[in-house]
Amino acid sequence: MKAGKIMSGINRKTISFIVVALLLAIVFVQSALTGSISVTPFELIHGLLTRTNDDVAIIKDLRLPRILIAVFAGAALSVAGVLLQAVMRNPLADPGIIGVSAGASFMSVLVIAMFPTLFFFVPLFAFIGGALAFFLVYSLSWKSGLDPLRMILIGIAVNALFTGLGQAIGFSGGGLTQSMSQVTTSTLTMKKWSEVEVVALYGSIGLVLSFFVTRWCNYLSLEDRTAKSLGVNVNLARFVISIIAVLLASIATTVAGMFAFVGLLVPHIGRTLVGNDHKVLIPFSALAGALLILVADTLGRTLIAPNEIPASIIMAVIGGPFLIFLLRKSDRIYGH
Amino acid sequence: MDIKEVTFSYDKKRDTLRGIDSTIEIGKVTTIIGPNGCGKSTLLGVLSNHYQPQNGAVLLDGKSLGDFKPKELAKRLAVVHQQNNAPSDMTVEKLTAYGRIPYKNFFSSTTDEDEEAIEWALASTNLLDKRSMPIDSLSGGQMQRVWIAMALTQKTPYLFLDEPTTYLDIFYQYELLELIRSLNKQHGISIVMVLHDINQAIKYSDVIIVMKDGRIAAKGKPEDIITADLIRDIYGVNVVVKHDKDAGTYIVPVGI
Repeated sequence: MKAGKIMSGINRKTISFIVVALLLAIVFVQSALTGSISVTPFELIHGLLTRTNDDVAIIKDLRLPRILIAVFAGAALSVAGVLLQAVMRNPLADPGIIGVSAGASFMSVLVIAMFPTLFFFVPLFAFIGGALAFFLVYSLSWKSGLDPLRMILIGIAVNALFTGLGQAIGFSGGGLTQSMSQVTTSTLTMKKWSEVEVVALYGSIGLVLSFFVTRWCNYLSLEDRTAKSLGVNVNLARFVISIIAVLLASIATTVAGMFAFVGLLVPHIGRTLVGNDHKVLIPFSALAGALLILVADTLGRTLIAPNEIPASIIMAVIGGPFLIFLLRKSDRIYGH
Repeated sequence: MDIKEVTFSYDKKRDTLRGIDSTIEIGKVTTIIGPNGCGKSTLLGVLSNHYQPQNGAVLLDGKSLGDFKPKELAKRLAVVHQQNNAPSDMTVEKLTAYGRIPYKNFFSSTTDEDEEAIEWALASTNLLDKRSMPIDSLSGGQMQRVWIAMALTQKTPYLFLDEPTTYLDIFYQYELLELIRSLNKQHGISIVMVLHDINQAIKYSDVIIVMKDGRIAAKGKPEDIITADLIRDIYGVNVVVKHDKDAGTYIVPVGI
């Protein structure tokens, strides 16, 4: 019976991985084929290779970028959520909830509004904004240890502050710029290949780095003093993991906009399906997050075409009930 | 291990430890006892370098604890803390293997030496048949043994335990104390622990350190130092101290 239990644990992890990876591939292709212009898989591949099909050219310019951005943003935000939860030892930590995304968004908007010539450096400023918000939450909620409740409340306050500041700049500029509304809302319309490059480059860097810190994330799930007795440099681990989390969340936010909730939802789904070992949880969350936002965006643009429902709204509508379902089924939340 | 004139305070207003000067003898079971707030857990924290003393130093092999790299210290000194936490789906073996962290760098994988240490620790703590179980299926006593197994995997000459029997019922308390004794007798591990129960301290210790108000009030062999006068001074409780050829030395509280 014991062996059966172990086997089923392994199988469950493997099956979850295979199912999510397959679904991601299927949705990716399906999403590229469907929409206001529909093509067959053959036409798409042929058109991409030969560049002779006008429909495919439009798909390549307009649809593929948003698909890729959805994939990278989903992966980045989900992994950022896992990392923040590890650093703060708090199952409620999420870049959208504790203000990291809002900080990144605010700095992006500020730079675009005040110094439009620095547009190229917006990802850098977004990172600074996200890091600022994170630092505020972390330092203000530290009172000889991180009190989970206090941290979430301060996070909500910091989030409100930066969201408000961002919106204030938006309103003060009147109908300022197209690019500003991109960072404050979460529609993935009108995405360009240049934006894909930003999110793919920094997103990949962040994701690869996150795979290197899985061990540290696991060690941080012990009590601090236990980890310290084992010779773990807890402060260094926290610092490095935080930087990676802020990088991922900020980049996703600048390119794809605010997606609250995804960094909370995906890791929890991951924990119930593949467990709390970060070596498995982080790659799984990356795949599942990519899948979730891609599904949300694809549904959003096809359900009531030619109108669109923002991906974040679809995501909240599917994700909320799904999370409740998983939590009701499993009593293991964040392993405690 | 030498404790040299150690003072420590949490808030710089009131000293929790006031001039502690003592020696922890190698190969012995040393137990620190004393009333609540006397600084016994703090002393254990200073001895394991969890707290750094404001004055004085703790010397291990002639070197101040603060001068060790964290991983080097973790190869000499393992600590079982009073409160512990780990993800509930982790297996006993995986958690035990964390004791090998001090022997690893960022990229290294599991070695034969690691495997041996893990086997030995699981066998010593009688957990071999539980190795693949998730820790949330264990009882409190079994869980405490897992934390000890993790500490043993560090392969240290010193093992520190902060109130290891708290929250356990009486069977598991004695099971754990017998385990600690056998680790000392069979493997020569020097034990330093904090206990609440004076009779358990008498029964299982080679040396008892009695603390009051941040100072060491008495130190020595249990049967030499535990007297009715001492217990009244330290705890404010009247006791009768008995010596019995079957039960050894023990105390019976008779009022305050």
